Amino acid sequence: MVILGEKLGQYRLDAKIGEGGMGVVYRARDEELNRDVAVKVLAAGMLEQLGKDHLLREAQTASALSHPNICTIYQVGRVDDGFYFVMELVEGQPLSELARASQLTTEAVTRYGVQIADALAHAHDRQIVHRDLKGANVVITKEGRVKVLDFGLARRLDSETVDAVTRMQASVERDRAIVGTLAYMAPEVLRGEGGGYPADIWALGILLYEAATGHLPFAGNTAYELCASILQQAPTSLPSSVPPSLTAAIMRCLTKDVKDRFQRASEVRSTLATIQSAAIVSEPRRDEPSGPRTLVLRGIQHLDVKNGDVLLLVGTTKGAFLLRSGRDRKQWQVAGPYFHGHAIYSLSYDGRNGRHRLWASTGSVLWGTYLRSSDDFGKTWTNPLEANIKFPPESGVSLKNIWKIALGPPGAQDTLYCGVEPAALFESHDTGETWSLVRGLFDHPHRPRWMPGQGGLCLHTILPHPTQPGRMHIAISAAGVYQTDDAGQSWQARNRGIRVTFMPERFPEFGQCVHKIVRHPDRPDRLFLQNHWGLYRSDDGAESWTDIAHSVPSDFGFAMAVHPHDPDCVYIVPMESDEFRCSPEGRLRVYRTRNAGGSWEALTRGLPQQSAYETVLRDGMVTDSLDPAGIYFGTRSGKLYASRDAGQSWKEIVNGLPQIVCVTSAVVAELPGSPSVPTPPLKRKRASPRKVPRRKAPSKRTTKFRVAKRKSPRARRQKRSRR
Amino acid sequence: MKVHFCIPRPLRPLTGGQSRVDVETPGRTLQDAFEVLFALYPGIHDRILDEKNEFRQHVNVFIGNTESRTLAGLATPLAPGTEISIIPAISGG
Repeated sequence: MVILGEKLGQYRLDAKIGEGGMGVVYRARDEELNRDVAVKVLAAGMLEQLGKDHLLREAQTASALSHPNICTIYQVGRVDDGFYFVMELVEGQPLSELARASQLTTEAVTRYGVQIADALAHAHDRQIVHRDLKGANVVITKEGRVKVLDFGLARRLDSETVDAVTRMQASVERDRAIVGTLAYMAPEVLRGEGGGYPADIWALGILLYEAATGHLPFAGNTAYELCASILQQAPTSLPSSVPPSLTAAIMRCLTKDVKDRFQRASEVRSTLATIQSAAIVSEPRRDEPSGPRTLVLRGIQHLDVKNGDVLLLVGTTKGAFLLRSGRDRKQWQVAGPYFHGHAIYSLSYDGRNGRHRLWASTGSVLWGTYLRSSDDFGKTWTNPLEANIKFPPESGVSLKNIWKIALGPPGAQDTLYCGVEPAALFESHDTGETWSLVRGLFDHPHRPRWMPGQGGLCLHTILPHPTQPGRMHIAISAAGVYQTDDAGQSWQARNRGIRVTFMPERFPEFGQCVHKIVRHPDRPDRLFLQNHWGLYRSDDGAESWTDIAHSVPSDFGFAMAVHPHDPDCVYIVPMESDEFRCSPEGRLRVYRTRNAGGSWEALTRGLPQQSAYETVLRDGMVTDSLDPAGIYFGTRSGKLYASRDAGQSWKEIVNGLPQIVCVTSAVVAELPGSPSVPTPPLKRKRASPRKVPRRKAPSKRTTKFRVAKRKSPRARRQKRSRR
Repeated sequence: MKVHFCIPRPLRPLTGGQSRVDVETPGRTLQDAFEVLFALYPGIHDRILDEKNEFRQHVNVFIGNTESRTLAGLATPLAPGTEISIIPAISGG
């Protein structure tokens, strides 16, 4: 008889911490090694039941198991006529209790499952079967580590006992120890066929089910009913909150036919690891259960975003990168690549109505393009099972790419738009949950005659009017600018004055390869446009366009951005030509106008001025909303440049990225749990229309250039490049 | 009849990690077999088929060792025990 305070060998029994069918477990102090251990003293009769030699053999085998998720057996000793086992002291909560107490996330279920399966695989590889894997034998420590207890010490029920118990009509309350084991027993064991590795895998499936739902998959008021349920019935269906991938894995563990079950614990482990690390983890959003989420790992050190931080969202052809900095914008933290290997042509930040939602268009050459969102700055993203942006089947069109994700106007806080390839517009009025094709544009009579640009027929720019509901401007390469005044039901081409160099008619109604349009919210009827050859401004809401390309080395380019606080100030990055598509003369220059295109000045401080043949694409430049304004642009060679002083000086803040195709900025405000940052008052420049030189729009029959009219286009381009 | 799908690694998260999925199809064609697969694992559908219900350009579906487009596409008849492999084509850049 064992008494508290008594010593068993070098172990002083300090407290009783558990009791079960096999015996009593004590917390003990190893007075020689000066550590706490657990001592399990076998119950009287266990030795007789299990057999001394067999017990010793199993304990010796189990003690050879050395695995972080297996409770280690240190020693076997004798006490009176019995045995005791000295084991690693594991303090924590049994998994079954944890699952019943709180709803475990799918990530937690797979995380625990991976560890249990890993422990099983370790043991199975050494020809050790647990035989009594159950919720009580799986403990989760406070550090979140799984410890599987009692390997090799399982109370194995002999066939007679099993047979007797399965016929028990008495309540399951009568012998919890046996019934607690029964609930995890595989059908083949109940049929007396013996258990082995597949029986352990069955038990693992029961554990996963229990962890995912908080209850067991088979039920019965008596042991007999419970066994009948296990033998004959399918497990109770898992709720829809459990993602299909995890459901499938659990169900495969619980396949009654052994040969259809997972054959190896290592296979279960890799399946659960796949679900956990690379694929679907079903997590309901905070406010509504919808959309499984993907936990994108791959060793990403996620951003620690705080109120007032400036974010840069950078899309490349091989993934997305997120950057953050404080308001001083001096040091940048970089995270990524997210969506490793995917082309990210558009990123957006929706900070309206208390949201802090990132949007990304993720394109796979193989599997299609999907719209995904994150509410935790990239830690988790939605992973839609169905494509959320897709053309109606009867349209005969299939999605190639999502080029732009745009927020709706100020009066429509839940509205978003997507511009796609082949050129079309999709809209959502429920914060992106559902999307529909804007038929007014898709069915436009011009559509059959729209031709693709070199990059495809893409709707790349979306500008909702800030003050006139229902009005919006879009730009398509190569169809031109279109305007709606009735929220997309009807559209009109708005390209008067924009020339085309690749069609016989120089100023057609539509067909222009417009690369970018921008406008400032304080002057919504003024727009600036970067064309495939040509820089333009409109002062009448896109009714007509005026050529403003002078004192620039080239009027070919892609990127354009307007100063956040000065409607007259616009930035561009000229490219030498449509053939070369790199910075002229190997000099990377940003050009700025501060008088709405009256004149342009080169901004080069900090930018390379030799051997810098860089390309900045149409969505590769952006400003932030701070004062002084931050300006950012990314190149096809994977460099990201930033200016903290509205372009006066530049600094390369990241290099070595894949080809950059889009850059978006955001300033984080009203982030819960983060201290607020006071916003200094802006020094806004008052727009001065008198500074804007008015130029007559060229007639369609004449083409005016800034240099000698009679020179060839090539000579004109060469002269421009020499500036 | 029973047919077998071989699932490429990028799509295995959608099938519970399974690299091989056996389905019992009531029909006789490749389309019938895929419909059973899609019912079991809905996420597979849009990954391999576009809005025109055609296999995505860079996705090959082999029936045995023959690419389905060289046969009758989705209308290709199947024999019991046929192995259907979804294999991404070598592409990208």
